[in-house]
Amino acid sequence: MPMTDNSAGKIGAAPEGARARDRLALLTADNAAVPLPASVQAITAILLAALLIALPWLGLGYRFLSIAITTLYTAIGLYGLGLQFGQAGIMSVGHAALMGVGAYASAILSVQLDLGFWTSLPFAMALSAIVGGVIGLPTLRVGGQHYIIITFCFCALFVIVLTNGGTFTGSATGLDVGSVTPLPGINFDKLSNNYYLVLAALFLALAATHLIGISRYGRTLRAIRENEQLARSVGINVDLHKLGVLMVSGLFAGLAGVLQLYYLRHISPTLFGAFPSLYLALMVMLGGARYLYGPLIGAVIVNFLPEVLNLDPVDSRIAYGVCLLLVILLLPGGVGAGIKNIYCAIAGGSVTQGGGANGRA
Amino acid sequence: MAALEVRGLRKQFGGVVALNGIDLDIDTDRVVGIVGPNGSGKTTLFNVVTGVHPATGGTVFWQGQDITNIGAHRIARKRLVRTFQQAMSFPGLTVDENVRIAWEQGRRGGGRWASPGLILDFVGLAPLGKAIAGSLPFGSLRRLGLAVALGVSPELLLLDEPGAGLNDSEAQAFAAVIAQLPPQGIGVCLIDHDMDMMSELCDRLIVLDFGTKIAEGPPAEVLADPKVREVYLGPDKNAAVS
Ligand SMILES: Nc1ncnc2c1ncn2[C@@H]1O[C@H](COP(=O)(O)OP(=O)(O)OP(=O)(O)O)[C@@H](O)[C@H]1O
Ligand SMILES: [Mg+2]
Repeated sequence: MPMTDNSAGKIGAAPEGARARDRLALLTADNAAVPLPASVQAITAILLAALLIALPWLGLGYRFLSIAITTLYTAIGLYGLGLQFGQAGIMSVGHAALMGVGAYASAILSVQLDLGFWTSLPFAMALSAIVGGVIGLPTLRVGGQHYIIITFCFCALFVIVLTNGGTFTGSATGLDVGSVTPLPGINFDKLSNNYYLVLAALFLALAATHLIGISRYGRTLRAIRENEQLARSVGINVDLHKLGVLMVSGLFAGLAGVLQLYYLRHISPTLFGAFPSLYLALMVMLGGARYLYGPLIGAVIVNFLPEVLNLDPVDSRIAYGVCLLLVILLLPGGVGAGIKNIYCAIAGGSVTQGGGANGRA
Repeated sequence: MAALEVRGLRKQFGGVVALNGIDLDIDTDRVVGIVGPNGSGKTTLFNVVTGVHPATGGTVFWQGQDITNIGAHRIARKRLVRTFQQAMSFPGLTVDENVRIAWEQGRRGGGRWASPGLILDFVGLAPLGKAIAGSLPFGSLRRLGLAVALGVSPELLLLDEPGAGLNDSEAQAFAAVIAQLPPQGIGVCLIDHDMDMMSELCDRLIVLDFGTKIAEGPPAEVLADPKVREVYLGPDKNAAVS
């Protein structure tokens, strides 16, 4: 870390202060680019999968499982946001609206055309992707900060349209759907089966995120995040990839929205407005958008925090605010970054430190 | 016919005429140098040729095709590649990943490197592969800039002051790497202010002043040209060449 260069000059500076600073540097280090050994990755994945699969059998109760379902479908939406923000560097504060596009598309297909969960899912995901791409068009002309405002406006507009959509959108009351069309032998009215449906989708989202992360496509997105001009100069079609990743993110959002719809069985515009959107942004930053399990961690923290600490909605908003501030100050990469940094420190010397050891010119 | 042909190239930034009708022919079998005082339009020439800025007028032909204003990424894919005056990298990624990104782009339609590791070996960055680019010392960052550009498998490489900010030994080592490129089929067009190095490296020098080409030819001849001496030394001809 360059930080050590500054302290090196001041010989005799308080060792206490230096040690505290080292500890802080450990937390704030950015090890997102450091690949973990395959064995560590595999063990983490297996343990996590086992835990998630076993969850309904742990006897934690109906309420716990309900929150778990909410957490998981939210996490699926967050994986899309994590991809566009963590990999490509394009933040959105209107992401709930994109989930809403999927949810409402599926609900309207159900009400108007009597299409069930499975048949409406691809249409809903496709529509979310297209809408994601269309909102993304301005990113090609304006900078990232402007795009954030645009996503926020889209979110507000979406709620207004839904609220004034008459019987087509159900106005402020919203729309109802039946349960997920049963598969042979599996009835999704049972809460644990609904949980497994959402969990299966989460595994798909995780697998997709992992594969994108290690692929040439993922590297291309990171190149755009890190340096657009250099990315262009090595032959990357930056505009195309920006639109592309927003559409992929829309696919995740659509999937999450439809799962949300069929879990709640009833949706209304407020579910997809400004507040839920800000929460999604909060969760992805809390968890760490650049880390494979960051979005999931963020979703778990935000959904379970009020439950664990027994907070009412107002208190929990304050708690979220404090969490976000703490993360921005102490863990700019999110909780995922903190966990990885601790791992890197235990495993002996992060790469960032290795690079710094060579000194600066 | 030269690989890169620039005809009547003009670039205006508001009222500033940065390029005022430039004609150039650059082949890919040698090192061509571009020199000129600060603000004479050298960087702008690279920016317009590689599509970073649109041209105000004139045409750029690359291997017989008109590539004027077709977009920076398309020009790079045609293997006309440049580096930047400000050392550039993907700062949050490892050195390995920086080079791999470029290499993956260059590999389309057949690149010249079997693996990104060979590029790191070539520029002497192999031991730093796992380091984060943003934490590199400046000299290594310059090498990384070159490695990234080489990753695209260029046929002509436009280098904008690759030696700027390096100490003498670093700059010499860098010059040695550059000298190896043309024999491997990578033409080089080089901007630099170090006249000694330029005379040694370049087969031909082009001098720009106020967006106009004022001289072109073998280094010794060009540096003896009274017009060039006046641009560099001013009317008082006793000062040293900077
Ligand atoms: N993006 C820009 N916007 C406005 N003016 C610019 C821009 N880029 C360059 N210029 C102007 O164009 C002229 C040529 O600049 P350029 O950077 O090409 O010079 P240069 O020969 O590369 O100089 P140096 O040796 O200092 O790098 C200068 O007057 C500069 O101020
Ligand atoms: Mg310049």
